[in-house]
Amino acid sequence: MTAAVVTKAPVVAAPAKRARNPYVQGLLTPRGITGLIVVGLVVLLGLAAPLLTSYAPTFQTSNALLQPSGEHPLGTDEIGRDLWSRVLFGIRTDLIVVVSAVPLGALAGCLLALVSVASRWADVLVQRLFDVVLAFPGLILGLTVTAVLGAGTSTVIVVIAVVEAPAFGRMLRGAILSHREREYALAARVGGAGPARLLVRHILPNAADPLVVQIAVSLSIAVIVEGAMSFIGIGVRPPEPSLGSIVSGSVMHLQDHPIYAIGPLVAISAFVLGLNLLAEALNKGVRR
Amino acid sequence: MTVTIDKPAEVRAAIPLLAAHDLRVVFDSARGPVHAVRGVDLDLAAGEMLGIVGESGSGKSTTALALARMLPPAGRITGGSVLLDGDTDLVAASEAALTGVRGRRIGMVFQDPMTSLNPLLTVRRQLDEALRAHGFGDRGARRARSIELLELVGIPGARLRGYPHQFSGGMRQRVMIALALANRPDVLIADEPTTALDPTVQAQILELLDTLRRELGTAVLLITHNMGVVAERCDRVAVMYGGRVVEQGPVAEVLSAPRHPYTAGLLRAVPRLDTPAGTRLAGIPGTPPDLALPVLGCAFANRCTAAVDRCRTEQPDLAPVTDTARTACWVPSTEASAHPLEPIVRRAPDPTSPVLEVSGVSKTFRSRGRPAVSALTDVDLVLYPGETLGVVGESGSGKSTLARAIVGIHKPDRGVIRVAGKGRLAREVQMVFQDPYASLNPRMTVGDIVADPLHAQHIGTPLERRARVLELLERVGLDPAVASRFPRDFSGGQRQRIGIARALAPAPSVLICDEAVSALDVSVQAQVVNLLAELQADLGLALLFIAHDLAVVRSISHRIVVLREGRVVETGPADDLVAHPQDPYTKALLAAVPSPVPAAMRAAEAA
Repeated sequence: MTAAVVTKAPVVAAPAKRARNPYVQGLLTPRGITGLIVVGLVVLLGLAAPLLTSYAPTFQTSNALLQPSGEHPLGTDEIGRDLWSRVLFGIRTDLIVVVSAVPLGALAGCLLALVSVASRWADVLVQRLFDVVLAFPGLILGLTVTAVLGAGTSTVIVVIAVVEAPAFGRMLRGAILSHREREYALAARVGGAGPARLLVRHILPNAADPLVVQIAVSLSIAVIVEGAMSFIGIGVRPPEPSLGSIVSGSVMHLQDHPIYAIGPLVAISAFVLGLNLLAEALNKGVRR
Repeated sequence: MTVTIDKPAEVRAAIPLLAAHDLRVVFDSARGPVHAVRGVDLDLAAGEMLGIVGESGSGKSTTALALARMLPPAGRITGGSVLLDGDTDLVAASEAALTGVRGRRIGMVFQDPMTSLNPLLTVRRQLDEALRAHGFGDRGARRARSIELLELVGIPGARLRGYPHQFSGGMRQRVMIALALANRPDVLIADEPTTALDPTVQAQILELLDTLRRELGTAVLLITHNMGVVAERCDRVAVMYGGRVVEQGPVAEVLSAPRHPYTAGLLRAVPRLDTPAGTRLAGIPGTPPDLALPVLGCAFANRCTAAVDRCRTEQPDLAPVTDTARTACWVPSTEASAHPLEPIVRRAPDPTSPVLEVSGVSKTFRSRGRPAVSALTDVDLVLYPGETLGVVGESGSGKSTLARAIVGIHKPDRGVIRVAGKGRLAREVQMVFQDPYASLNPRMTVGDIVADPLHAQHIGTPLERRARVLELLERVGLDPAVASRFPRDFSGGQRQRIGIARALAPAPSVLICDEAVSALDVSVQAQVVNLLAELQADLGLALLFIAHDLAVVRSISHRIVVLREGRVVETGPADDLVAHPQDPYTKALLAAVPSPVPAAMRAAEAA
């Protein structure tokens, strides 16, 4: 290109502000840090379970319903198993369940969202499917699925995935539809981008923000769903410990042996609270 | 009384109705305190209309809000005084005292008539509430007063029962003004009251404000970015830059003989209808100061051509330059700066074969539960290589639908759009969008954004694309090093340059600019318009320049098409169309464009 310089001097951008990832920015707030510490502590207890106890969670000592002692920090249950050990391994079970179920649900929901933005009639089908899932209370759905698949850890995972999928699906569908009409997306179309490039290169990176927040929300819901299913006996099967099944076992002894229930309940509450704090912090960061 | 007064001698003795002295406002932001207003002196006499002009970030709106102590929570007044009647200091007043002042003594009208009325309440309820808040009479009296107020602002009293959504934008702004006037305030602060409105409606609202001032004696503080509005309606003007008033005085004096280089620059940047077509707009190079950083000396110094060393170290205060005008400049120009009109480089279009042909295009939008909207009806136009075709029209005229139909975003119901040339539409026709903040993907670097059409269309090797991006960035006046930055680091004008570079990437033969400069401040708008004109002259682009501002369109176009409600009402060479409009609608549009030359001065010139 020849002569005719456009402006006198090239315009230089303002000094770059420290460009920080919005998630990181959200997490580095008092709320985010508290959430990280609480969740981190619970996860650490679960991961390090074998190192923190000398009893296997299913090992039966001869002493049932012991009060807390140096030997058994949370006492023992009705058939003499060490509760400290059961709570730690229960956290472990919960971790396995929620960490496999939530991404599964997210994946299913997102794939369905992509199908539904691609075609109009698929959209109608997918949305009605989501309506059906959402119309069932979680536990009823859990019972139905258990009736088909039988009780067990994998059933809990399937139920959580099914319950969580619509939230991800609707959220991603809405975000794609709104981002598709923004000027930058129109600009990409004018520039010659086909539907695939438009979606992958332009829309998804911008539409994904709320999903990250939803993952944190869904994890906390998943902990509660697992607890509820195991509590009514259609979840993780004994003798394998899970937080829900320990609470279930403690109900008979709430009067005479309250310490039995406290361990698993504290773990569930801390886990859910921490995840909600993380979700809120991420949300703040994303919105800025 | 320490308030400085600079009014004609006969009122000098009088105490100003509202006087701000050394007003300072700081906003808390993630980047630290932003000194949005840095010592503003203003005074407003009864029955006077004072204009505050300035570009975005100049602190004019913040000043307006601070006067009524209505700053958002992040902002606070850190110094100075605002005296009402010369004795009540609003800065020190209690919240209870302020409640009595707002509405009763000071009324406010905001920019967006769409959001400043409560959509759930009828106009009657809203007026009634405003009256009741200040204990106005009983129900019957308030109702009578409400009808009177509506009629005062030119709305039939029968529409009292209407909800805001039943009113048009201009009508809502009238309702806002009626609300602000409900308790007969002495001062009306109007913050960009006509910016969201079409030019013909803008003229009506300004006329209304003027009438009210004359008939009710209400003093009006009119905040605007539009020099023309100030020239036509205000008695005095205060020009703000970087959080300070840089020049203040009678409109005729300030606008015809600006003393501050910024005022002079701003006036040169405004496109006008009374200069020869093809006159180059003079943009002010550079960008406004970042008020989160300390400002040393005069805030304008680094964009000022007259700046001397002292400008960079010592802050000038407002000082009298004549009996009536004051300016804050160490080197004020002493006489009316006659600035030479410089023609833009234009080249004659090549009228042999059109590069773009639109014939008989119609488009109707249908959505469930709403009447169908005919956005375009039977539109014809041709565009020749090297030609700039301006398209003007108010909102709802179908301008954007036309642009989107041409680039293939909307499929027309009827008609044909033909683009001459080699092949794919996306290679031949590119577009620059309106919103510099929404039209760049925030997750991509500038380099990736500019290269995107090349990637999408598989043009060139990675190395060639890289070279092309650097060349384009330089071409639009950006440092090629910015390719690795993200859009958030750039100002509106710079982002628009990035958008232009992206549009130029596949070397199109037609460039469509859909309101591409409307969102920019005039000094930046002028830079971008000049850039477009130069690119066209150099590259032989055909330019379809769509805007609602007739003056901007005329400054760059060879021919102009006027759209109204989806139909072409008039088309012709730019100068002819402006000088001898045929269609009554074109005439109305032309009449509505306020000229930055004060009426008094024009009369003097004509004599």
